[in-house]
Amino acid sequence: MSKHRIKFSKTGMAKYISHLDLLRCFTRSIMRAELPVKYSQGFNPHQKITFSLPLSIGVTSECEFVDIDFEDGITHEEILSKLDKSLPPDISVLKVDNIVKSANDIVSAEYRVSLFTDEEFDCEKQLRDFFGQGEVSIIKKTKKKGEVQVNLMDFVKSWSLPKNRHEKTKDGIRTEFSLTLSAGGQSNLKPEIAVEALCGYLASCAKVMSYDIHRTNIYCQAQNGGLIEEFS
Amino acid sequence: MERKSYRRAYEGCLKRVQKPARYIGNEFGSVHKDWDKDPDMMSFAFCFPDVYEVGMSHLGMKILYHMLNEREDIVCERVFAPWDDMEQEMRGNNIPLLSMESYIPVREFDIVGFTLQYEMSYSNVVNMLDLAGIPLRTKDRGMDDPFVCCGGPCAYHAEPLSDLVDFFILGEGEEVNNEIMDVYKTWRSSGRDRDAFLEEIVALGGVYVPKFYDVEYNADGTIKRFEPNRPGVPKQVKKRIIMDLDNTYIPENLIVPFMETVHDRIMLEVFRGCIRGCRFCQAGYIYRPVRERSVDRLVGVADCAIHNTGYEEMSLSSLSTSDYTQLQPLIDRLLDITVDKKINLSLPSLRVDNFSMELMEKVQKVKKSGLTFAPEAGTQRLRDVINKNVLEEDLIRTANIAFKGGYNRIKLYFMLGLPTETYDDVRGIPELGKKVVDEAFFSIPPEERKGRSVSITISTSFFVPKPFTPFQWEPQNRISEMEDKARYLKDNIKSKKIVYNWHNSDISLLEAVFAKGDRRLGEVLITAQKMGCKFDGWSDFFDFDRWLKAFKTCGIDPEFYALRRIGYDEILPWDYADIGVPKSFLIKEHKKAYAGQTTPSCREKCSGCGAASFGGGVCFE
Repeated sequence: MSKHRIKFSKTGMAKYISHLDLLRCFTRSIMRAELPVKYSQGFNPHQKITFSLPLSIGVTSECEFVDIDFEDGITHEEILSKLDKSLPPDISVLKVDNIVKSANDIVSAEYRVSLFTDEEFDCEKQLRDFFGQGEVSIIKKTKKKGEVQVNLMDFVKSWSLPKNRHEKTKDGIRTEFSLTLSAGGQSNLKPEIAVEALCGYLASCAKVMSYDIHRTNIYCQAQNGGLIEEFS
Repeated sequence: MERKSYRRAYEGCLKRVQKPARYIGNEFGSVHKDWDKDPDMMSFAFCFPDVYEVGMSHLGMKILYHMLNEREDIVCERVFAPWDDMEQEMRGNNIPLLSMESYIPVREFDIVGFTLQYEMSYSNVVNMLDLAGIPLRTKDRGMDDPFVCCGGPCAYHAEPLSDLVDFFILGEGEEVNNEIMDVYKTWRSSGRDRDAFLEEIVALGGVYVPKFYDVEYNADGTIKRFEPNRPGVPKQVKKRIIMDLDNTYIPENLIVPFMETVHDRIMLEVFRGCIRGCRFCQAGYIYRPVRERSVDRLVGVADCAIHNTGYEEMSLSSLSTSDYTQLQPLIDRLLDITVDKKINLSLPSLRVDNFSMELMEKVQKVKKSGLTFAPEAGTQRLRDVINKNVLEEDLIRTANIAFKGGYNRIKLYFMLGLPTETYDDVRGIPELGKKVVDEAFFSIPPEERKGRSVSITISTSFFVPKPFTPFQWEPQNRISEMEDKARYLKDNIKSKKIVYNWHNSDISLLEAVFAKGDRRLGEVLITAQKMGCKFDGWSDFFDFDRWLKAFKTCGIDPEFYALRRIGYDEILPWDYADIGVPKSFLIKEHKKAYAGQTTPSCREKCSGCGAASFGGGVCFE
């Protein structure tokens, strides 16, 4: 087995690195680490690297996955230690494993959302009301069709009530909750679109000055049945 | 020290701008120091007055950034010009200009240094000072403000920035920058005033402090008198250069940007200076004499850089790579370490007169890219005037080699508006292009041609007379003349195999004005910045009418600087700088240009330019 699945985190300012830049960053990190990566055949050979699920610019994550082809004989431990040392400070390797699950089976992703507002508000009620709506019209950009109007609720898989209420920080009053949205090839929604819609809804009771979004989990369809399980 | 943190607000802006990766820092190889660890830590903000992807392509910054950071007592951080969208966000949120590494306001640094690579970045220098909240004029700065300095090739003649810059560093910075920091360290704790620091660094040599000179003008606007106004200040400041390039600091750890930069590769500086002496080329004069690095040292540096960066491309950097005396052995040894790692080796700045099939095949081993040559002028007569010692036969022969080797795209660079140019010379440009197609490509039997056809791109820019060249006294063509010539070419290039493109003419005028301007232009720069001039090197921002308005507001005629033939005896605004080549040599070269006489390269025959006074390099080979 020469293909390895690398789980990594992308935190801090690295959240502003685009997908293409991240690919370049991995390519160069592998070169620095002098890991025996495999190249594609052809006129312009490139390293065989595939990311499982792109991450929006501005979103941090503790569960990113990239599959890389190496020559035989290299161990998971070797990849982890060498690659982690060669990556920039805000990108860290968490785990290296064999590839069992297919990225094509990814169905959803879970995010931790932190809102920073200028004043306190009844967050439980507001979130319940917002997500309780049958239809919230949003604009979604797609490569094929351009801008299309869709219903946000078709993409919301689940949400949780706030864990901490009215926590005062220097950036405002923080409200934190989790949100699971459709993700993957079949149906995908960028989390910031959902959060922006929520911010608009909240405008009448509190001003959201800024927000953080952090990806905490990716889920996929299990191979053996209809169940949803953690992607790994 | 308590410092207001702008990080959160700055981060917020990044969600709303294009290419946020320009502003995040934290790249692999960037240096992060604890500012508060040592109360005696000196801070240096290295500013590049253009956007990140341009600035990060600049070799000089890489050298000085890492060199200063090697010292325990210095923290050096990078600063770039924010793109317009980010600038709006920052101004709207009251965020001053910040450094890349620690997001610390630039105005809190001890020394703020700009590198001046091209004149069209001057408005960005003003804009960045404004965004930083540093008083624009030196006379308004006090003990709590940083010192603002400038280095780089334009620092030899950046009089237009004199009112805004405390000191200029003339020449190569590897030694003098360290010496300046040493002086700063003792000065800071001495309690003496700002002038005391400036007086002390003047004594180091290579440092020009504009306020220590008084300028008087004649009624016709020319300079009457340009003299030091205090003891200990030399009439001329001699540039500082590094004579032994093998034993000077070369960074082995480089920053590897996340986003694609203009030169996104390892740059291996093989030598400084140029043996050729093209009469329009400022770099050919200010970097004299030629000093080479040894193959051993270069291979060692290359090996480290490959290991430390992971870059997939490496290029040899110099003014004329094929003039490196050890080019073949260097390439052979570099290929030994690059081919297996699939690293592409590229050789820019090749000359047509010593280009070989063997060399081309070697570079081609990894990846084939397009070729660019610069005949500069369309006729032999004019090439002799500018001392571009390239023959038509050389170009045809080289193009033929390239086509046989499988290249099918060649770019040819020319200049319009060179001194003594006539329409015969202008006509010579498309004729030369046509000869390359007919004689270099169609002379190859069809069965031996690698590609089915060829494409020649002819690019022209307009001649800008530059200080420290034999053409410094020359007038530039009027905009209408420049445009007529470009239009003539556009109308007369009919071949489908030749593509023609040209650079803006009005920007060339402004470039000449700021290249040859004096300190009276400082007010124009400040006025233009207030009117919104910035990023003048970018066509999306350059607004010629706005500049003309700024000149008018200040009562200054730009044509005075660019379109006038200057007499040999006139005091020039840049006479204070001694590049090692005296005016008498430039006058001799200027006269030879008009006589159509060429000057041989330094390796053929020494022409006695004066650079031998530095005591090394090609002068003593």
